[in-house]
Amino acid sequence: MDQETVSTICYLARLEIDKNKSEKIKQDLETIIELIGSLQTIDTSSIEPLYSPLEMTALTHEDIENSDNKKNQFLENAASSNEDYFLVPRVVE
Amino acid sequence: MSVQFKSITELRAMLDDKLISASELTEESFQLAKKYKELNCFVTMNEELGKKNANTIDLDNKSNSMLAGIPLAQKDLFCTEGLRTTCSSKILANFIPPYSATAVKKLEDAGSITIGKTNMDEFAMGSSNETSFFGNVHNPWKKGYVPGGSSGGSAAAVSAGIVPAATGTDTGGSIRQPAAHCGITGLKPTYGRVSRWGMIAFASSLDQAGPLARTAEDCAILLNAMSGHDSKDTTSLNSTVPDFSENINQPLDGLKIGIIKEFNLDDLDKEVQARFEDSKRAYEKLGAQFIEVSLPNISASVPTYYSIAPAECSSNLSRFDGVRIGYRAEDTDDLNDLYIKSRSEGFGDEVKRRILIGTYALSAGYYDAYYKKAQQVRRLIKNDFDNVFKSVDILMTPTSPNTAFKFGSKGSQNPVELYLEDLFTISSNLAGLPAISIPHGQVNSLPVGLQLIGNFLREDQLLNAAHVFQQNSDFHLAQPNLENF
Repeated sequence: MDQETVSTICYLARLEIDKNKSEKIKQDLETIIELIGSLQTIDTSSIEPLYSPLEMTALTHEDIENSDNKKNQFLENAASSNEDYFLVPRVVE
Repeated sequence: MSVQFKSITELRAMLDDKLISASELTEESFQLAKKYKELNCFVTMNEELGKKNANTIDLDNKSNSMLAGIPLAQKDLFCTEGLRTTCSSKILANFIPPYSATAVKKLEDAGSITIGKTNMDEFAMGSSNETSFFGNVHNPWKKGYVPGGSSGGSAAAVSAGIVPAATGTDTGGSIRQPAAHCGITGLKPTYGRVSRWGMIAFASSLDQAGPLARTAEDCAILLNAMSGHDSKDTTSLNSTVPDFSENINQPLDGLKIGIIKEFNLDDLDKEVQARFEDSKRAYEKLGAQFIEVSLPNISASVPTYYSIAPAECSSNLSRFDGVRIGYRAEDTDDLNDLYIKSRSEGFGDEVKRRILIGTYALSAGYYDAYYKKAQQVRRLIKNDFDNVFKSVDILMTPTSPNTAFKFGSKGSQNPVELYLEDLFTISSNLAGLPAISIPHGQVNSLPVGLQLIGNFLREDQLLNAAHVFQQNSDFHLAQPNLENF
């Protein structure tokens, strides 16, 4: 893993790493990738992945309208909002 | 009369006999939390509402629930309506949820009193409680030593007798390992047994809520209240919930306990190994039989977990972007800059490390090699468990390879060193199985835990085996000396 790969992953994850920590992060990632890379020695050629221990179809329920509207409480938790929307820096000039 | 270190069962009897009121009991919990503030168990207290709710229980004067008037602490990963919920992260340091997690709501509906929110590893990522934005939690048994993690604050609060029980969550051992390090009992239920709704997600296919308490009997009481189908959680099991308290004193004659041959216990600390052998003998005396079993792929559990859990974490934590909830950085140039700065300033190092690993494992070109491969190995591990449960009832391992360790002594140079703490606990999360840790002695004056792993939905067998052990031993009654706090 080189610094360029680390930078690409950081951008994909929308994270910035302090310059003085980037070498340590690179080493840590290499160590962890080596750990999980050890799985390559296991033969899984005919094995289906197990994405959830339950392996069941999600249950569905009647689509019933309810009036549990907590819009204001959700908006209050945002760093910036008006009476209807979350506010962010301008994206369209 | 002090109620410190009393079990729920004992407190229930005192409440029913009018020897104490819910208000007095709750008041003592708050006083103990203040007295042992230096343990740093709590992130936020719920004093005003907690006292009000206790008073309501006293006025109602109905004790038809085992939990009516019992003070509990909630891990700060469960959303609690109107009460700050931080996940021990800077990014959620001011988050006030508009609703409560189903597990917490069920406990409160049963009359328990939430006294506060407990410290934890940031977003439950850690095995030592050293990644919390709010500082380390001390192990009540030894100052400057870790309580384990990620439910370290909950484990320490129970161990110190501040509350008789607390909630935790377990993604790779986060209930069982701190329970072991703090000398208490902790149960990770079957995946789907307890609703995950309102739990702030770390790794959705592994996370499970459960109780930490002084005894298996008390864990059964909490599990009774927490379990059950929840239409708000699509992974919640729609299966019958037995009364876990009803059948917990059945004889162990003929109980078949498997010992996993792939776990080479000779590599353990000799004293940890000796406690394990002692407990095997104790179970034999109680009528159990031991059978050596093989789970050929179980040694791959740690690398499998450290591919799957970070991948799920990187996806789940993408919701923290500084826009809708949580910390927002100031002085940002544009929306992308807002995302990057808010996340970079809001998350701690371990969380960032796991997000990056997960992002890498899920990225184009690596998905099959890391994420899909790990999910395939996960199936092999689950198949191994399915096979052994044809010949044994439960499996027995140490909970942790060692006892609690000093702050800063593990993982700072190499994170994998700390990941190996979860060697014995991780596989049951991958397979979705229930597992319990019970105290079974001490090494160098620090508690050691014994883990029992059960078949799918067989918490009843685990609780029974743990309860019978505790009825015939006194390890669970040991109390830490708190004079240094």
